[in-house]
Amino acid sequence: MADQQSHRLSTLMQREFQEYRNSLLWTPLAIAAALAFVMLLSVLFANRISAMGDVILRVIMEDHAVHEVNITINIDDEETSVKRDYRIEQQEDAVDEREWDFSRGWSFKPDRESAEAKAVDDGAGGEDEEGDAGSLNPLLNMVHNFMLMVLLLVSANYLLGCLFNDRRDRSILFWKSMPVSEWQEVASKFMVAMLVAPAIFIAASVLAQVASTLLAMLLVWRMDKDPFDLVLSHIQFGSLLFNQVAGWLLTALWLAPVYAWLLLASAAARRSPFMVAIAPVIGLFVVESLFLGTEYVGNAVARHLPHGNGGGTGVGFYLHGPDWAAQDLAGLGLGLLFAAAALWVTVYLRRYRFEL
Amino acid sequence: MDTIVTASEVTRTFGQVRAVDHVDLEIGAGAVLGLIGPNGAGKTTLLRTLLGLTDFEGTIDVLGADPRTERASLMEQVCFIADTAVLPRWMRVDQLIDYVSGTHPRFDRELAENFLRTTEVTPKRRIRQLSKGMMVQLHLALVMAIDARLLVLDEPTLGLDILFRKRFFEQLLNDYFDDERTIIISTHQVEEVQNILTEVMFMNHGQVILHKSMSAIEEEFVELHAVGDAVARAEGIPHVGKRSILGGKALIYEGIAAESLAPLGEIRTPSVSDLFVAKVGWETVHG
Repeated sequence: MADQQSHRLSTLMQREFQEYRNSLLWTPLAIAAALAFVMLLSVLFANRISAMGDVILRVIMEDHAVHEVNITINIDDEETSVKRDYRIEQQEDAVDEREWDFSRGWSFKPDRESAEAKAVDDGAGGEDEEGDAGSLNPLLNMVHNFMLMVLLLVSANYLLGCLFNDRRDRSILFWKSMPVSEWQEVASKFMVAMLVAPAIFIAASVLAQVASTLLAMLLVWRMDKDPFDLVLSHIQFGSLLFNQVAGWLLTALWLAPVYAWLLLASAAARRSPFMVAIAPVIGLFVVESLFLGTEYVGNAVARHLPHGNGGGTGVGFYLHGPDWAAQDLAGLGLGLLFAAAALWVTVYLRRYRFEL
Repeated sequence: MDTIVTASEVTRTFGQVRAVDHVDLEIGAGAVLGLIGPNGAGKTTLLRTLLGLTDFEGTIDVLGADPRTERASLMEQVCFIADTAVLPRWMRVDQLIDYVSGTHPRFDRELAENFLRTTEVTPKRRIRQLSKGMMVQLHLALVMAIDARLLVLDEPTLGLDILFRKRFFEQLLNDYFDDERTIIISTHQVEEVQNILTEVMFMNHGQVILHKSMSAIEEEFVELHAVGDAVARAEGIPHVGKRSILGGKALIYEGIAAESLAPLGEIRTPSVSDLFVAKVGWETVHG
């Protein structure tokens, strides 16, 4: 029986991946491949294409300006043939080993008092100018952040569509002719958004990060330095991976009520799930601020939404390491309660109010 | 005979409209029930109450379960084709078979693939690329490969050409039906199903107008084709309906012995569609 149940659940999830193959599977792989390709171009033509190459160059330059060696690169754009001039200076002082700890400062705390949040965010914000000089953190952060931003967009789109599209094309009548309960159906979709899709995106992100590390090594190697010594030996892949996975798990707990709400909107909508998701929240916010002058709704929602962290990445959440100790447990718990209630309503709607 | 479906005082209202109005129903194992009614008569809504697809007042027992709360487990024993073209259009045929195979414990994958082998529905085709007829073939193949006790078909051949329709019902009768299985078919194409029905039920305005076995219909209803002078005499006898035929009238009587009408003209058993028109009447349907 348990076997049959788990087989059914895996069939349901497989179904989701068949329907949303492009957004859940090919998108992360394509983005990872595209990022790797852009980085490759940057390395190969470092003087021509700016973004990634600049970051890599800057990282390497800052790296050696601070520690051990000083590398200056002069690239002459005037000449048709690329001419590069590298100068490497040895640094006298040994570097504190902690400087190489790539996982250091990767956790941060959203929803704290603003000053505190800013202070923490600055440390973890990724490609912030002052932050983390001398490591590949900024570059890897940027890759991971970008993947997670796409993940959030893709997930929101998936959740809004997954209980609406089959009602619109009436294929729900076929799904309902199968011995699958509404709970199983809703749970499988929720699980896909909370865990399975993020697992794929994080895996793709890790691939892209590995690619960027390798390309950074290639760049260093082209500068006639030892890439293993300069890059590889100083990255702690274990803690990097742990922070990114655990970071998502905590994010998922915070996001659960938002995701459940989007599912509810998808199950309730007759025309536009997006409007059903947005309108009541805005309505409540406006009514509250007009009549009560308070902002509880706005604060509660903001707390559970990904938000800007002041570091310039555009998304501020537990994109990297979780900060378990700094959690507002009451907020987290209330959010999970809301998520459970929203899922219950979603199942009810799916069972009795599915017709458009 | 086991009772498969028992419904009592079933009512379903949408706003002011009573789509199903105090319907009582009992269907035994092995029955093939034809549910016949005009558009908007409440056939689909009644079938949906039996399948747990809509809320209702009253009580329904399908195979010992309440469809409102036990739809998922009920669907292990009940199959339905709710309409043509409800299969998910984005799926491939083999993906659909995988899905049913993974979720339905009584599905025989090999059987379904055998049914499809003789058709143009190949595994790698997307459902959206199939014609309506092929979609119904696919759906029927899936349904026939499920060892279910009750099959509910709501307008299963709507919009199909006559070849597909004939093949559909032939296949249903030859490859699927046995004494243990119960089938409920709602359809407009009464003539095409009446030879496979064991019971017939007429609905209009949400109410059951008639529910009888085919043998009871043969016993209780008689159609007289009267021509010439006999028409006036035939019309003088209380009848449930009449229509014009070449040179005279065809009249349907209820509860009158065929022998007593024989002197007035040719006697026969009315077709289900003629009986339906006689009982429900054009005026009550569209008036």
